[in-house]
Amino acid sequence: MPRQVRWIWILLAFHLALGLVAFGHFLATGQYVVLGWYFWALGSLFFLVMTSTEFCLAMICRSWFDSDEPMRLAWGMIACAALARLAGVVLRAVSDGHLPWGNWHQLSQPFGGLFANLGQLGLVVGGPLSMAFLAIGLGRVLVIQRKFHLAGYLTRGDKALLFLVLAFSISQLAINLPLLWNHPSLGTMLLWLSDPLLSLLLIEAILVRRSVIRMGQGLVAKCWGMFVLAIVITSAGDAAIWASSHGLLSEQMTAISWYIWFLAAAAFASAPAYQFAAISLTREDSVHSPAMR
Amino acid sequence: MRLLGRWELMVWRRKLPSASVREMRIEAAPASGLDDLQVRLNLWSNLWAQDSESTSRSEAQQLVAERLSRWLERCFGQHVQNSLRGNQSHISLASSTPIFTAFLGRRATRELSRRVLQDI
Repeated sequence: MPRQVRWIWILLAFHLALGLVAFGHFLATGQYVVLGWYFWALGSLFFLVMTSTEFCLAMICRSWFDSDEPMRLAWGMIACAALARLAGVVLRAVSDGHLPWGNWHQLSQPFGGLFANLGQLGLVVGGPLSMAFLAIGLGRVLVIQRKFHLAGYLTRGDKALLFLVLAFSISQLAINLPLLWNHPSLGTMLLWLSDPLLSLLLIEAILVRRSVIRMGQGLVAKCWGMFVLAIVITSAGDAAIWASSHGLLSEQMTAISWYIWFLAAAAFASAPAYQFAAISLTREDSVHSPAMR
Repeated sequence: MRLLGRWELMVWRRKLPSASVREMRIEAAPASGLDDLQVRLNLWSNLWAQDSESTSRSEAQQLVAERLSRWLERCFGQHVQNSLRGNQSHISLASSTPIFTAFLGRRATRELSRRVLQDI
């Protein structure tokens, strides 16, 4: 495992270990004090570190491609997606007053018009906007993979999953469209795009996964495999929110489902770390060492 | 007008100092130098693209194919060679360079090619 990826997952393991302690306290006492503090302080910090890492690594990967190379655009879009997620985390932290420095509560007041409040703006930037950037980037990658005959055929299982995803998206749109008569804010309407965009990302993820299976277990294959994992985990988190809002999950299960987002953040950060490792490999001598030959 | 002036300035700046054709003196290269160049070019073209019809491979070609296979496996995976080979039975620089360039970038591929051709 490359060094950067190893550090990301060690950090995640350490963070989740602390999270388990907080969850244990919640189970023992039934109070949200420690759990709330964990997500409030450590959770926000973890997201900031992961999204910053992802953005920096994606920008380094982008810099290795010349302006006329197609992958430069793909990595540029992935970097934009990471930056949007980072901005979303910051905006939400500012809105909720989660930052330890300064009093930002005044900014979280409703400023009307386009967005209900700063938190909603953060949700839009870190959600649909970030997904749109990622969808463009992955679309570009799929085109390149098809060019090299790496795109695989969809199995029956893939098609069944696609059908489910599309059905879920259409049902969500059918629920949301009548609400247009209530004149919702632009932010609310943009948030409705989350499910269709996540469906698009899942479709792309399934196609990318097929091509990864055709490649094997190399660093570049793992890079795109990590994006697939991150998108699937994000979908699971989205489904958990939906289930929780419909009262399908118990209080304990709802609390556990919040940890899903840490896994997604780590998977998103690991993807450019694998690509960076593949690029770095070309500058190392280890491949031609006697042990490798 | 101003834009045109700028364009002319850019053209003027891009002019490279070059000797006039009359001043150039082309001297005949020694025969041994040409032979050496021909040998090098033949070696390079053999390493670049493995002839699909020929079955025998030189040691250098074999080494390049082995190194490329190892790089392909490390970067992409063990199955990617099947997608690349197509009609050819062996991996060559010509068949593998496009995929390396597409996914790793031109500069990284240049470094990689340098390492593949090291000591050959």
